[in-house]
Amino acid sequence: MSLIDESFELREIQRLEGHTDRVWSLAWKPATGIGGVPAVLASCSGDKTVRIWEQSRLTGSFECKAVLEETHTRTVRSCAWSPSGKLLATGSFDATTAIWDKVGDDYECVSTLEGHENEVKSVSWNASGSLLATCGRDKSVWIWEVLPGNEFECVSVLQGHTQDVKMVQWHPSMDILCSCSYDNTIKVWAEDGDSDDWHCVQTINESSDGHSSTVWALSFNSSGDKMVTCSDDLTIKIWGADIMKMQSGDGIAPWKHICTLSGYHDRTIFSAHWSREGIIASGAADDAIRLFVPGENGLIDGPTYKLLLKKDQAHDMDVNSVQWSSAENRLLASASDDGTIKIWELAPPSGK
Amino acid sequence: LHKLVHIMDSFQLNSNSDSIKDIFDSSLNLEETHYKEGYTEGYNDGLSSGKDEGRQVGLKTGFQVGEELGFYRGCIDIWNSAIRVDPTCFSSRVQKSIKQMDELVEKYPKLEPENESVTNIMDSLRLKFRAICATMNVKLEYDGYPKPSDVKDIM
Repeated sequence: MSLIDESFELREIQRLEGHTDRVWSLAWKPATGIGGVPAVLASCSGDKTVRIWEQSRLTGSFECKAVLEETHTRTVRSCAWSPSGKLLATGSFDATTAIWDKVGDDYECVSTLEGHENEVKSVSWNASGSLLATCGRDKSVWIWEVLPGNEFECVSVLQGHTQDVKMVQWHPSMDILCSCSYDNTIKVWAEDGDSDDWHCVQTINESSDGHSSTVWALSFNSSGDKMVTCSDDLTIKIWGADIMKMQSGDGIAPWKHICTLSGYHDRTIFSAHWSREGIIASGAADDAIRLFVPGENGLIDGPTYKLLLKKDQAHDMDVNSVQWSSAENRLLASASDDGTIKIWELAPPSGK
Repeated sequence: LHKLVHIMDSFQLNSNSDSIKDIFDSSLNLEETHYKEGYTEGYNDGLSSGKDEGRQVGLKTGFQVGEELGFYRGCIDIWNSAIRVDPTCFSSRVQKSIKQMDELVEKYPKLEPENESVTNIMDSLRLKFRAICATMNVKLEYDGYPKPSDVKDIM
């Protein structure tokens, strides 16, 4: 039975308060929420702090375990855990990226990466945790290599976008980097051999079925053969690439348009995230969260996606980020301009 | 009236039509002659004042390019000296980038301002410099060094 055949509801588990300004971004700590390890979530805010929330083993509710403050001097815009969960990277409007390590019960800032000329908008670790990408309003994308002793070396500064770069995301299994921007394009970056020579291998613009306005976010599915992007143009687009071809070393396969979801949103979509099971969550400026799942295959135009459910007034203000937990617990976290974070569970309706 | 008749007689006689044509031509072409004179005067004037202005712009641009290249040359020389003293002071990646910067500075066509590669080479130099500084965690700037945000005014 495919997901679309079942009816679901998004049940609010908890509302996390604490930040004193809008919450921009969220990141679930890898390898938590599973095998008896309590789920851990990081959030970052316009209040210049990062908060770490942990689910209590006893009560199941999330408590704030740490506040990472007095490091960034402006809004913290993005946060991401390294794949092992050891390090947390935070990108800020103060143009720096801080790297945090847990020492006992506290988090310490062990490194500060400078280089961007102005606001850092997004940070992302590659699958092996050896590379960190950052991007910002200065239109550039930086790639850093992680060295022993929490040393970071700048591998490359990538220019190509003509406006503010909103997000960078590494592919889940290959060292391919995607970025999306206020310039309406999505760019794919790859390394030429092993030479630190990174360059743009593909630009998806309006003429290649791309977005017609700012692209705010992108997310890969777990197998890495699809990615979803969302935009100010009120659409969500799904893209596919021949991963087998790329993995066999046959060069970089281009990303092709599969599907555009339009008519579902009437305000800017700020966030889209693909769960391990293939459910796409979106967070938008109309304060709502929407979930999409694959529809029936075998139609003339190929795979389609359908709206599974819409959660109106998920928050009191714009939803900036939605993030599925990587554990198999169907937990979804959302962050909003209203300064709160909500934890949701995707469950069958209470009657069942 | 007498002159007019004489002229008309001349036309009918079809003799000396060339000289008559000349008289009319010069008065008919008066506008064009004046235009040509004025244009030549203006062009020559422009040539000399353009040369002056060109010299000023060339001096300014040349100075700024020279200053920026010289700054990179200085940084590269210091870094290379440091490497000679202690070959392990910088990682192999940084050393490779310094070498690449060195090659770019040498390659810059200093005597060919209209060579197409000048912008590309300068852009590559600036990017490499930023990457090296970021890795070394140093802020290298001084008065007169054009900040990237200023660059659009210069070029």
